[in-house]
Amino acid sequence: MSNTVLTIANLHAELRAGRKTGPGILRNVSLTVHQGEMHGLVGESGAGKSMIARAILGILPRSILISDGSIDCLGRQMVGLADSDRRKILGRDISLIPQDPLTALNPARRIGAQMTDVMRLHLGWSRARAHDAALALLNEVHIRDAEAVLRRYPHELSGGMRQRVLIATAFACEPKLIIADEPTTALDVTVQKQILRLLREMQNRHGTAILLVTHDLGVVAKMCRSLSVIHSGMIVEQGEVSDIVTRPEHAFTRALFAATPRYDRPADALSPVPGEVVRELEEKAATFDRARAGLS
Amino acid sequence: MSVTPADMLIEARDLKMDFPDHAAKSLFGAPPRTPVLKGINLSIRVGESVGIVGESGSGKTTLGRCLLRLHEPTAGQLLFSGSDYTHIDRSALQSLRPQMQMIFQDPHSSLNPRRRIGAIVAQPLLASGIETDRRQAKTRAIEALQRTGLGEEFADRYPHELSGGQRQRVGIARAIVCEPKFILADEIVSGLDVSTQAQILTLLRDLQREMGLSLAFISHDLSVVRVLCDRAVVMLQGEIVEEGRCEEVFDAPRSNYTRQLIDAVPLPDLDDDWLIREPEIQKEETGMDVKGKTVLVTGANRGIGRAYVEELISRGAAKIYAGVREVGSMGDAGDSVQEIKIDVTSPADVKAAEAACGDVHILINNSGVNTNDHLIAARDAGDARTEMETNYFGTLEMCRAFAPVLEKNNPGAIINMLSIAGRAPIPLMGSLSASKAALYSLTQSIRAELAPKGIQVVGVLPGAVDTRMTENFPGDKAAPTDIVKAVLDGLASGEADVYPDGMSAGIAAGLAADRPATLAELAGYV
Repeated sequence: MSNTVLTIANLHAELRAGRKTGPGILRNVSLTVHQGEMHGLVGESGAGKSMIARAILGILPRSILISDGSIDCLGRQMVGLADSDRRKILGRDISLIPQDPLTALNPARRIGAQMTDVMRLHLGWSRARAHDAALALLNEVHIRDAEAVLRRYPHELSGGMRQRVLIATAFACEPKLIIADEPTTALDVTVQKQILRLLREMQNRHGTAILLVTHDLGVVAKMCRSLSVIHSGMIVEQGEVSDIVTRPEHAFTRALFAATPRYDRPADALSPVPGEVVRELEEKAATFDRARAGLS
Repeated sequence: MSVTPADMLIEARDLKMDFPDHAAKSLFGAPPRTPVLKGINLSIRVGESVGIVGESGSGKTTLGRCLLRLHEPTAGQLLFSGSDYTHIDRSALQSLRPQMQMIFQDPHSSLNPRRRIGAIVAQPLLASGIETDRRQAKTRAIEALQRTGLGEEFADRYPHELSGGQRQRVGIARAIVCEPKFILADEIVSGLDVSTQAQILTLLRDLQREMGLSLAFISHDLSVVRVLCDRAVVMLQGEIVEEGRCEEVFDAPRSNYTRQLIDAVPLPDLDDDWLIREPEIQKEETGMDVKGKTVLVTGANRGIGRAYVEELISRGAAKIYAGVREVGSMGDAGDSVQEIKIDVTSPADVKAAEAACGDVHILINNSGVNTNDHLIAARDAGDARTEMETNYFGTLEMCRAFAPVLEKNNPGAIINMLSIAGRAPIPLMGSLSASKAALYSLTQSIRAELAPKGIQVVGVLPGAVDTRMTENFPGDKAAPTDIVKAVLDGLASGEADVYPDGMSAGIAAGLAADRPATLAELAGYV
């Protein structure tokens, strides 16, 4: 497939403690996202999935150092990019749909002001033009009475509405890549389905590539074409969703499927992730760190 | 005294709970009270685990808190092993507490960070006076920890030294240390990873079976309930909409809401059309009874509108908003009738009505005009536009404004007054026929759109009715009262399109059997 939007190659990140480097956070991570594709990044908390998202956006905590590898987004090298250059890209070529819509919106500013900011900054549009564009975007995400919503404050909207506003804003400057970090985790299940449907609809219309970060295998199975499973900062399995869902190869992926409860199966079908599978991965990570320490 | 089977542990009978709504409080007086539980009947047997599922705001947490008597219910009855604990005092409650325990959602905030795990788990024993000797209490705490898979060494640690899964085990140990009969677990796995969640679920299932516990497990996650529970109770807006054994509820749900919930769960399977698929909505067996409901009727001061108001009063509607062009035109219609100025072609009026009538269950779009004009032979298209403006756009704007209100006040219904002319064009009234045909199509479309939201949409297609609008129409005309009765009966039995009189029913049957012949015959009459 041509037209790659994002290529991460052999990315290493480590915890930095003074001059010494500590344990690894990301270990030899490689992944590719093509134009118009939705790629799922699945893992448990602490696996490193959010770290990958933050590395792309260049917002890793100061204590974490990218020691090796590259992140190529639309031909631009994101690792080591100057902040002034990064600011020109974020919100324009790459945008983010965050997990918690309430904390992502400024409680003291109206929705309209927050939506138009990004267009006025990146596209140099006038207040009036950005306002009209924001109206059109809200209509596109099926918000009734868009004019009134623009005048509201975040707390006046429901969780689902806030997430719609953030999705609309993420698409405002026609980005090539959107990073959606657990975009539906805080929502009720019926609202989640509406938001997922909207995300797919917007993606199809705009041809945007989306990196969907989630802990939910179900969401990935329904939404994504390709998938990376991550544990201990390592990608343990990667490929087409259709292959992995039907025939997971790695023991951890298999265990993850077996540990996911399903309403359509009797209680005894559930089995927790075996300790040895996790231990094996942790040992592999430790061996990897030792090898890298020997290198440097 | 009521009879309670011997193996029934907890029973809630017609449990109601309401809270003051401070957001809606006026400057003076007490704030209005919002009902959160609207008459819940629930029983939990000894050794049974019941899953309480619902979305946020369904009242599931409030129900749980009532079962533990952390809230005192506003009305109804609570029984524990047959004895009433609905309103018992503090001291009586305190002796009941050791038998009913709770596991909290957030294992971070529910453990005192300054106390060691051993002391945290021993606390309920000491507080309830089951144990007075600290050392003895600690021994029992360690036993409880071991039952949850945590070794003795954890007793001397502090909560921050534990992982999320380990902390949740401590929460479970604290709940079982008194050997309770009943445990309430409120969203206890929602913050955990899949792998940890599976461990906690298996642990809780094993403990529940081993100790013969009764468990109320509150969760928004249907899949988790299936793993742990014998029975599932589905809640929506303070009511139980479905209840049954897990395999029944999840494999063959009976209520549309349950079906909708199940359909929205993304299973880790390949299923290409899941995203665009809507759950199959089955027609509920019963439609809507107007008794006790709040109804808005447009064009209420005369003709069919007036008949609606009178019939609604006689059928016991709680409140009727009579939409009129000029307030005062209803005369003395009764205490339950409130006049409200609505010209459906005025956006300001529609908006004001939406704001003023937030409690409406049934919207009756009755306002309409008939200019008795032709389409081609008319002087200009002005009359046709007027009819379209009122009959079509007026109804559309009202439906758009009130759909969210009806959804909120579930169950909701919309009744659109069309005409048989919408299906059988009458040359004499060409412009009316066209506007009613548009309205017929509108009604079919919004029915599909609103069905998933639980709003019933009824289209009414009468023939000639004896009102001022049809005074020029020759032949037999039906009485407005008869039309209205047929419509409200149709609403109650869940009908979609209602042909309320002999003429319309005859034409509809004719159209269905032989459309060209019927139309030709009609043209002959005119």
